[in-house]
Amino acid sequence: MTRVLVVEDDAQTAAEIAAALGDHGFEVECAHTGQDALDRAVADRYSAIVLDRMLPGGIDGLTVLSTLRGMQVDAPVLILSALSAVDERVRGLRAGGDDYLTKPFESLELTARIEVLLRRRSVPDRETMLRVGDLEVDLLKREVRRGDHTIDLLPREYKLLEYLMRHPGQVITRTMLFEEVWSYRYDQRTNVIDVHMGKLRRKLDEGGLPSMIHTVRGSGYILRAPD
Amino acid sequence: MRLTDLPRTTSFRLSLLFLALFGVASTVFFAFLYWQATSYLNSSVEHWIQRDSVVYLGSPGEIVQRLLTHDERDPDSWRPFGLFDASGRFIAGNLRALPERPVRFGRYFEYTLQRNGREVPFRGAGYRLANDDILILSYNVNEISGFKRLLVDAMAWGGIMVFAVGIAGAIITGLGAVRQINGITSAVERIVTGNLSERLPTRRGAGDLDRLVSLVNGMLDDIERLMCEVKGVTDDIAHDLRTPLTRLLGGLERARRRGASREEYAKAVDAAIAETKAVLGTFSALLRIAEVEDGARRAGFTRVDLGQIAADVVEFHAPVAEERGVSLSFDTDSPSLTQMSGDPSLLFEAISNLVDNAIKFSPAGGCVAVRSFYHQGRIGVAVTDNGPGIPASERDAVLRRFHRLEKSRHTPGSGLGLSLVAAVAKLHGLTLTIDSSYPGSCVTLERDQPQLGIGGPAVLAPAAASAVTASPAIATAASASATAASATASRVGPEAHRVA
Repeated sequence: MTRVLVVEDDAQTAAEIAAALGDHGFEVECAHTGQDALDRAVADRYSAIVLDRMLPGGIDGLTVLSTLRGMQVDAPVLILSALSAVDERVRGLRAGGDDYLTKPFESLELTARIEVLLRRRSVPDRETMLRVGDLEVDLLKREVRRGDHTIDLLPREYKLLEYLMRHPGQVITRTMLFEEVWSYRYDQRTNVIDVHMGKLRRKLDEGGLPSMIHTVRGSGYILRAPD
Repeated sequence: MRLTDLPRTTSFRLSLLFLALFGVASTVFFAFLYWQATSYLNSSVEHWIQRDSVVYLGSPGEIVQRLLTHDERDPDSWRPFGLFDASGRFIAGNLRALPERPVRFGRYFEYTLQRNGREVPFRGAGYRLANDDILILSYNVNEISGFKRLLVDAMAWGGIMVFAVGIAGAIITGLGAVRQINGITSAVERIVTGNLSERLPTRRGAGDLDRLVSLVNGMLDDIERLMCEVKGVTDDIAHDLRTPLTRLLGGLERARRRGASREEYAKAVDAAIAETKAVLGTFSALLRIAEVEDGARRAGFTRVDLGQIAADVVEFHAPVAEERGVSLSFDTDSPSLTQMSGDPSLLFEAISNLVDNAIKFSPAGGCVAVRSFYHQGRIGVAVTDNGPGIPASERDAVLRRFHRLEKSRHTPGSGLGLSLVAAVAKLHGLTLTIDSSYPGSCVTLERDQPQLGIGGPAVLAPAAASAVTASPAIATAASASATAASATASRVGPEAHRVA
């Protein structure tokens, strides 16, 4: 069972986060102060830590993070913050954070990002061929095949597919796609990514094949082998 | 401020100070004049006495005879001469008695005698003869004293007049200052009570107070504008947030009232989530604009290529344009010459907003052209479309938060897009210009390119030429841009020409 430590001083918010992660199938523990978080994280092994940037009692989120990293606790850490400025994000990541999420956020965004963080640790990055069902991506030749049928993709479509193929069966939100594939960071609120995904989906499903990219209610996508 | 405050005004005090300084200076001047004049007049009298004394003392035997003759010649005794023995008894002459003051021989002295019931001043000298007799020679100096009196009187009157005029002047200037301060005070009081259109009174002079007043008035203009903007924004926020919140509340209440099935509840919750997301989106857009306007994002600046970002934006929006039947094109006359320092995500978002708007408002079959350019030391991005355009009267207003043209009210969006673009442009030192004539509009973000500015075109020309010859793709793009530019020029006029 995947255990996640949620460090958040506001009890109500902590409970909401815990509920969202619990519904996703994680086992959740909460800490409300920096000291509490340090004690728990050092004593116990967690698969991931959700860490609020602002904490009461002298030890703030970044201090907790750098202390944990100093003590060789290497669980992936997702920083939560009400501060959205770029340099805040940079400071958070530099202190050892793996991802940064600005409040308010959707529970889907949080669980999807934690899922990716967990999987990033377990899947080696050295593969040359990605396979989901009858869909294959040759990373060396940058070639996409479904069954014995080669699919022509635009460079951006290829990058979208590659990202989805690296996380099969996981929810990937639009924001994650935008950050990963276009490398710009802001809250994209248009439906442009949906249109890109629509085009990609049509190319993959050409010839009446069963769909592999599914829309997740809310704001995400999931790539699955057809049953 | 009341009249009793007059002595406290700076101008009044200054006037008094100058009056006092002038008084001291003129007193010194008058004293010097007085001293010079009287010593000159006295010296002429003394000169006469000196000459007489030479005559009298030169022949001591004839003194009595001479004095008798003198007495006859000077019956009014304007020049009283007298000879007295050692004990002071009168011997001869028209001065009958020794002056009351003790005579100091060899020195000039002044004394007075009664003449026709008046004290008349005389100046004289005493000499002791060889036989111990005393000879007094003196002259009437009534005219000299009269002159002195005149001089002192003139000075006194002059002083009084100067003082009166000075005090009056001080009061007048002081009153002027009091009046202006009173005007300013009451204007400030009216401003404090809420009348922000009030301005401090100025006397259209170049005085220091007037300069201060015009400075403060300029500040008040800014404050009034800002207050108006804040009020406008508050009204807009109230409107744009109250509407979705009302819908949210209505939906939730309806669900509680008659939500019978699980499905109905789920639907109501989904609707509520969507509304809440929209509200949060509006809020975060507002916060982002504030953050960008604050300038805090400069910390995240790196070296970026404006043209590359514009190309990314076009690539990002291409499928949407295709879906809507709008042709979206990108070209550049200056590949890799549009480097600048900036925040790539913000620039992407800003250009993306412009392109998104252009696509949204273009009719099916319309075209949106994005160009990045380097021209005469300026770099920039221009987004041209042939949509409905923006009327000239609305061009400033569209940059305001929440502003949406009446006819676009039905299109989804928060109305914050262009104000974010304006804020991002300002953060990056880019000028945002909107050119529009029906149909179509051209929005340009541009700025000076400092490092290439010197001799820019000369450096640019061969570079651009080699780029064109090097890549056939770019050559086509460049020629396409030329035709597009000439087409735009005929439509939009000089502005498009400048951009091209």
